[in-house]
Amino acid sequence: MSDPTQPPGAAPEQAGLDLQEETERLQAELEEARPPHAGPISQIAAAVVALAVGVFGAVGSYALGLGRLTQPGPGLWPFAISVVIIVLSAVLVVTGRGLQDTERFSRSSLLTAAGLVTLVGLAALLPVIGFEIPSLLLMFIWLRWLGKESWRSSIVISIGAVAAFYVLFVLLLQIPLPRLI
Amino acid sequence: MTILVGYLPTPEGEAAVDAGLREGALRGERVIIVNSPRRGAPVDEHMIDDAAGAELLRRARAAGVDAELRQPLHDDDLPETFEALVKETGATLVVIGLRHRSLVGKFIMGSEAQRILMESTVPVLTVKAAQ
Amino acid sequence: MDISPILDGFGVVLEPTNLLYCLIGVIIGMLIGVLPGLGPGATIAILLPITYGIGPVSAIIMLAGIFYGAQYGGTITSVLLRLPGEASSVVTVFDGFALAKQGKAGTALGIAAIGSFIGGTVSIIGLTLVAPVVAGFALDFGPPEYAALGILGVLLISSIGNGNKLKAIIAACVGLLIATVGRDTFTGAERFTFGSLNLAEGIDFIPIAMGLFGLSEILYNLEERHNQVHAPAKVGNVWPSRKDLGQASGAIGRGSLIGFVLGVLPGGGAVLSSLAAYALEKRRAKQPERFGKGAVEGVAAPETANNAAATSSFIPLLTLGIPANATMALMFGALLIQGIQPGPQLVTEHPDVFWGVINSMYIGNILLLIMSIPMVGVFVRILRVRPAIMAPITVLITLLGAYTVRNQVYDIFLVIAFGVLGYLMKKFGFEPGPLVLAFVLGSMIESSARQGLLIFGGDPTGFVTRPISGTIFALILAVAAWPLIRKALPRKTSVERVEEKIK
Repeated sequence: MSDPTQPPGAAPEQAGLDLQEETERLQAELEEARPPHAGPISQIAAAVVALAVGVFGAVGSYALGLGRLTQPGPGLWPFAISVVIIVLSAVLVVTGRGLQDTERFSRSSLLTAAGLVTLVGLAALLPVIGFEIPSLLLMFIWLRWLGKESWRSSIVISIGAVAAFYVLFVLLLQIPLPRLI
Repeated sequence: MTILVGYLPTPEGEAAVDAGLREGALRGERVIIVNSPRRGAPVDEHMIDDAAGAELLRRARAAGVDAELRQPLHDDDLPETFEALVKETGATLVVIGLRHRSLVGKFIMGSEAQRILMESTVPVLTVKAAQ
Repeated sequence: MDISPILDGFGVVLEPTNLLYCLIGVIIGMLIGVLPGLGPGATIAILLPITYGIGPVSAIIMLAGIFYGAQYGGTITSVLLRLPGEASSVVTVFDGFALAKQGKAGTALGIAAIGSFIGGTVSIIGLTLVAPVVAGFALDFGPPEYAALGILGVLLISSIGNGNKLKAIIAACVGLLIATVGRDTFTGAERFTFGSLNLAEGIDFIPIAMGLFGLSEILYNLEERHNQVHAPAKVGNVWPSRKDLGQASGAIGRGSLIGFVLGVLPGGGAVLSSLAAYALEKRRAKQPERFGKGAVEGVAAPETANNAAATSSFIPLLTLGIPANATMALMFGALLIQGIQPGPQLVTEHPDVFWGVINSMYIGNILLLIMSIPMVGVFVRILRVRPAIMAPITVLITLLGAYTVRNQVYDIFLVIAFGVLGYLMKKFGFEPGPLVLAFVLGSMIESSARQGLLIFGGDPTGFVTRPISGTIFALILAVAAWPLIRKALPRKTSVERVEEKIK
């Protein structure tokens, strides 16, 4: 009963139902927001990256020393995993080109890239000038340009949120965040 | 020729629809009722459902006006959304409701009505809620 | 069975601080279940640093509250907006939304709340009875069994999880590989550290979980355009009528059992059980055509089942130390952070944690019921909050939270790096769940496997010849071969196709 052992998919067979049509309709509706899938090149690229990770792991762990089965070296286990990664990725390179589960990068992916820059900026500035100004900038950029809020609400919300963070982290919880004041 | 009417389910919005329909009947022009929800949140309290939309169109028919309901999404650019609709439909008049706002309220929320007044390329008729 | 530890567990739960954390957890869970964007996994990941500050029992009680609270929160959007917040609420949409269109949204929500409460409670009672037995059975397990169990867990999650199985297993293996970074406990050799002192200590669970579950979801949501806005729905009377309750009672009873049994299965327990419960009700119904047009059983069955499943998915974690899904992997990590190793010894070594967590669910489910019905209006209002405003606040909580764990900026960069990795994985069809889960189990699997090898004097066949580990390895083979077997079968049943669609 509490044995997590049944093979997947065996359980609901008792229940033959035709939800399919309805579920498909709903799913299509929900999927509307998803960008179109990105075709075979991205599939192969992803598989090749995974393959590279496997090769890198195998080479690195081989250098660590595999040892023997009676006396496993530090590299044995990572080497075994890396081999599995290599084999599975190779299979994926061959069989995965028809999959449709990758997403194309679109113009809105630039928003993610911009968001990422602000994150790195915050991490880099934090030890130098404290958390207040970088947090304020991050909040404002995300609200005004990534979230398309109005100037006024961006300013008000970012100042309010950083003030709340200051009260919570610094005054109440007394966490030693690097700070300006 | 067309008249654009900005509608929200508020007394000001009702007043705007009343005025817009009167104007449409008077000029014999088509009326487009615009109920534009803000993009982002799953629910916008100012968006009206199908039943309320049908009711608006029924009112227009009763007033003898050919009307249409549009619900385009907007970001922080309601005036631009109106302007685009003006261009698209060749509207000659925009009707919106105005409400009294305190200084603080205007500062925090901005006034979209004011921006429409300033930025519209066609005449704007503003009405207040019935007293 | 000695029930005094159970009663002590209630004592633990009824401490005011723990009650408070239970309440906070349930509220947060319901809120994020309603809000689009972050799921319960992401939220729990982001809140992991808090668990440092509070005790282990309070921490797990709060995180568990988030988990089952979110199950109910997702129902609200399914019924009102036809937007299932969680995969396990997808089938609720059919009849829930139909009821809402008939002006009976309140009935649907009320039935769902009552069903969730009963399903959850039945499942907790089952958990109370079954968990100590399983844990007692598993006490005899040695390193080879643990190695086998760990591998089985990773494999099951990967093969039942969302999307492509091959990709999921590759992701899991990468998780195992990342778990080896740092100093090898057996030989002291530094692995994949590239001379970095930070890496020599190994990679911490918190930044991985926060990055792969939390930040990646925020980054991913940034490019999503929300192009559907709904008019506010009218909820109406939330108390279901006696007739509705009578009609739903059978469905609630059967849903509880289905949910409890299937919830134990690793992977999509909650999803699977909600589908199975719905299907069973439709099949049993005298007029199956009512389903999809506002049958109360169609709401009661899946909602009861998914809550029951959410509860019983704690069984493998608390008794075997094997997390059944991604959220349980986070719980596992949270316990490890506190220096508590989930597994068969948990019930004897940390009875306060074991029974405290289980008993907190009784209280949590009561809180859920008390709050869900009168507070529906509040949750409906929350739907007006724009994700664009929530996103930067969550980002700041994540980054500053990551810093507070060890007061190191390095951890922030680590979170960002794993956030980007998670984002790219999502874009390329890899689920981050198996990676995190495998990472959590990685060092346990490796050390058990190596201890096993030492026990057997270097003879790997020992893993297969011991009865229990041999059985588990046979299951591993069965799970691994299952996709091939299924391909060989002439035609999939429609349920399985539906399942795949939903995932």
